[in-house]
Amino acid sequence: MAETTLLALFEDIDPAAEAISKLHELGITDDRLEVISGVPISHRILGRPHAHTNVPRMALCGAAIGSLVGLFLNFGTPGLYGVHVGGQPLLPIPPGLIIFFEMTMLFCLLATFLGVFLDSYFPNYRPLDYIPEISDGKIGLFFKVPPEEEQKFTEAMNEMGAEAVRATEAMQL
Amino acid sequence: MTASSDYFPRAEKAHEKHEEEPDPREQLMFDPLPRGQMNAMVMESMYTTSWKFWVVVGILAFLVATCFFYAWGYMIANGLGVAGVMRPSFWGIFLVNTVFWIGISHAGTFISAILRVFKAEFRRPFTRAAELMTTFGLIQAGASIFMHLGRVWLSYWLFPIPNQRTIWPNFHSPLMWDLLAITTYVLGSTMYLFLPLIPDLAMARDRSTGWRKIFYRTLALGFRGTEGEWRHLTTAMNIFAFAIIPVMFSVHTIVSWDFAMAMRPGWSSTVFGPYFVLGALHSGMGAVAGVLFIMRSTMKNMTYFIRKEHFDSLGKLMMIVSFAYAYFFFNDYIVQWYGGDKWTDALLHWLEHGPMSWMFYQMVTFNIVIPFLFLWNKKVRTTPWALALIGLLINVGMYWERYLIIPVTLTINRMPFTWRLYSPRIEIFLTIGTFSLFILMYMIASRLIPLIPVWEVQEGQMTHSLRKVGSTMVHTKTELE
Repeated sequence: MAETTLLALFEDIDPAAEAISKLHELGITDDRLEVISGVPISHRILGRPHAHTNVPRMALCGAAIGSLVGLFLNFGTPGLYGVHVGGQPLLPIPPGLIIFFEMTMLFCLLATFLGVFLDSYFPNYRPLDYIPEISDGKIGLFFKVPPEEEQKFTEAMNEMGAEAVRATEAMQL
Repeated sequence: MTASSDYFPRAEKAHEKHEEEPDPREQLMFDPLPRGQMNAMVMESMYTTSWKFWVVVGILAFLVATCFFYAWGYMIANGLGVAGVMRPSFWGIFLVNTVFWIGISHAGTFISAILRVFKAEFRRPFTRAAELMTTFGLIQAGASIFMHLGRVWLSYWLFPIPNQRTIWPNFHSPLMWDLLAITTYVLGSTMYLFLPLIPDLAMARDRSTGWRKIFYRTLALGFRGTEGEWRHLTTAMNIFAFAIIPVMFSVHTIVSWDFAMAMRPGWSSTVFGPYFVLGALHSGMGAVAGVLFIMRSTMKNMTYFIRKEHFDSLGKLMMIVSFAYAYFFFNDYIVQWYGGDKWTDALLHWLEHGPMSWMFYQMVTFNIVIPFLFLWNKKVRTTPWALALIGLLINVGMYWERYLIIPVTLTINRMPFTWRLYSPRIEIFLTIGTFSLFILMYMIASRLIPLIPVWEVQEGQMTHSLRKVGSTMVHTKTELE
C-alpha cells in the first residue's frame, strides 16, 4: 500500500528539533524526512545531517573558466591579429591583470548563481509538498509513514507540541 | 542627600541620568512581531497605493517619454551635434551622469555585502532598498554611456568579438576595462539582488491572487524553504557578499582610470582610484538616506521596519565616509597644488576663481563641511528628514564634483587657444530623463517587490534577546549558524 505523507507543523525551533529526534526514535530515517522552514535553520540545531551543496565548487569552476577567458582575451586575441604599435609590447601584463580579474569574478558569480539553480532544481513548478504557513515562519516536518501507523505518528507529534498534524498531498505552488 | 553626593553632586546626577535606560523595543531586533504579521505589513505596503502615487508616476512617465526616449531618439536622428560637447570638452554631462550613477550604485553593495560580511545587524531591513538602487543606478549609468557613444548602433564595436577584418578590440584600453567591469558589476549586483529576494517572492506568492500570483510564482522558481534550498542560497549569498566587494572596488577604480591614465592636468593622479571609490560610497550612502526617508514617509507600515536607529547608524557611516572622502580630496588637491606644474596651477586657479568656482565651493561645502558640522550630532542623525536632506546635499555636491572633474577640467589644457567653457544643451533633458527613469523604476518596483527582506528581519530577531546581567537587562546576540 502506498505510504501517506504526514505534515507536522511547529511554531518554534525547540519542539521541532525534539520532534525530529522522536521521529528518529520511531524509525523515520533522515532521507525520509523533509524539514521546511521560513528562515534558514542550521542542521546542528535541528539534529539533521549536513546538507551538501555544490555551490562553492561551482564558484571555483566558474572562476577557473573565467580566468581562462581572461587569459584568452588578454594574450590570445592579440596573437590572432597582431597590431604592433611602436614602443609598446604586444602582450603587456599589468593591463592584462584587469581583464583577467574581471573575467574571473564574472564567471565565478555566474557559476555561483547557476549553482543555486542546479542544486535546488530551480525552476520547479511541479506539485510539491508544501503549505503556505511555512512562509509565516512555521516549521514543517514532512515524512512518509505506512497508513496503519498514521495514528501513532500523529499522536507522537501532538505530544511533541505540533500545532497541526495532518496527511498532505503535493500542491501546486 | 547622602554624604557622598554632598561631595560629588555631579556624580549623583550622572547616576540618575544613567538609570534612564532607553526602551530596548525601540530597536527592531528587540521588538519582534509574528512573521505572519510582518508579511502582512509588507504585502499591505505593496498593495496600498494612493492616487498621489499614480499622479507622480504619470508625471515621471511623461518625463521619461519626452526627456529620455524622445530626446535620445532626436539625438540619434540628428547626431551628437545637438549636444553641447565640442572642443575642448568632448566628454560632457553624459559621462558625468555615468560616473554619478555608478557612484549611487555602490551603496547597495556596500550596505548589503560589506555589512553582511561584518554582520552589522542594522543593515537587515534596508538591504534590498539599497540593492535596488544598485541595479537601477547601473541601468542609468549604462544608458548614459550609450548616449555618450552617439552612434549607438555601432556599440557592438565594444563587444569582445572580432570585427570583419578579424581584429579584436584592444583589451589594454581603459574603455574596454570599463565595459567589462561595468558588465560584471551589473550582472553580479542583479544576481545578488535576486538571490535573497527568492524567499520573499515565495512569501508574496503564498499571499497573492490573479496576475500577481502568476508573477510571483514564476519568479519564486518553486522555492519552498527546504534545508537544501536554504543551504544553497545562503552559501551562494556568502560567496556573492565576499566576491562582489572587490568587484565594486574595481568598477569605480577603473572608471577613475578613464581619467587618471591620461596625462592631463587634474586627471593624472595616483589616488584617483580610492578617491573615486570613496566618492561613490559618499553619494551612495546619501542616496540611501533619502530613499529610506521617502519609504518611511510614504509607504504603509514602514515606520516599524525603518527606525531612527537605522538612520543613526547610516548617519555614522556617512560621517566616516565623509572623513575618508575629505582625506582623499585634500590628498589629491595638495599634491597637485604643490607640484607647481604650470597647467595644473592654471586649472586650480580656474576652479577656485573661474566662472565655475561656485560649483567648487558648493562641492566642498556639501561634501565635507556640512557632514562635518552636523553628522556628529545624534539628534541630527536620528531625524530622518535632516539626514535625508544632508544626503541630498551630498549628492548635489558629488554631482558637482564629477562635473568639475570632467567637462570643467577639460576646459584647461596645454593649448590655451582652445579653452572654452562647456555648456550642455540636449544633455540637460537627457539628465532629467535618467533621473526620472530611476525614480519611476524604483516606484514601480516598490509595488511589485517586497522592499523589506522579511525573512532576514525575522532571522535577525531570532538571534537577539535581552539577558539580565546584574541589575540590568543587556542586549545579547546568539550565533545560530
